[in-house]
Amino acid sequence: MTTNVETAVPTQKKRMKRIPLTYVVALVPVAVALNIVGGQINTALHLPTFLDMIGTAVVAIVLGPWWGALVGATTNIVASFISGPISLPFAACNVVGALVWGYPVRWGWGKKFWSFGLINIAVAFFVSLTAVPIYVFIFGGATGHFSDMMTAAFLAMGQNLIVSVFSSNILVSLADKIISGFVALAIIEALPANLTQGIELPKAERIGKIVWITGGIVLGVAIALIMLAIQK
Amino acid sequence: MDKKQLTVGTKEGLGVGIIGLGLLLIFLPSFSQKIADLDFIKSEAFGILSGAVMVLAILTMLAGLAVILTRTDEEE
Repeated sequence: MTTNVETAVPTQKKRMKRIPLTYVVALVPVAVALNIVGGQINTALHLPTFLDMIGTAVVAIVLGPWWGALVGATTNIVASFISGPISLPFAACNVVGALVWGYPVRWGWGKKFWSFGLINIAVAFFVSLTAVPIYVFIFGGATGHFSDMMTAAFLAMGQNLIVSVFSSNILVSLADKIISGFVALAIIEALPANLTQGIELPKAERIGKIVWITGGIVLGVAIALIMLAIQK
Repeated sequence: MDKKQLTVGTKEGLGVGIIGLGLLLIFLPSFSQKIADLDFIKSEAFGILSGAVMVLAILTMLAGLAVILTRTDEEE
């Protein structure tokens, strides 16, 4: 009988666990599909979010930031074949999101719900920083997304294009990344325990975790509703 | 009988992440032209391509930094 050394004794704090290849082969395509389906649902319902990075968050946290980067890059490559070429430049945003979700969790910064929420906000900030030059220099500030209306509103207020695009995008991104992050946390909860072993995520009694995850999603939805109200 | 299960770790993750960036670079030239051909786009294909390549270059350098700084796990 062999003993599982990894579960017997808590090892060094930053020891990364090796993951069975079968998990990776199963999880990565599912995460890509989740991203694409989320994006398509978002587009179909004309939601003021993106919802195309939930799978990226799951893989970045569970498997590692660069596995998440692979999911992000693949998502936008596939999406550009489905929805048109506009998605491809934004692959960089997906990759950046994977890195910002993956590394802080690996460093142990996501142990509490409030710190995990801060990681989601950081993802929103860095993804917006990456997206704004793409919006401005490639697409002239508009791609047909909901945020274009907010950009137009800020432009009408007298702001310059870069500030307008950043202001609208950061609001959309905040709602989107908070929702995506907490939905990803819920998905990670449902994964096999040996896959998530060693990853320092917020711990709580089951009902407490449900409350926090629901609260996070509600917060993201509230930000989206506020944006809709501002836009009207 | 020991059946050795194939596992992946940090090193493999970095490798596939870099491969993902490479995949993006493969598709960029053709999609830059397609984006430039869209009615509402004023940018030229070359400008789109050069901007995207610069962003990916930064990400590739970050990957290189990660390769240098990351300690790979030694356990088998």
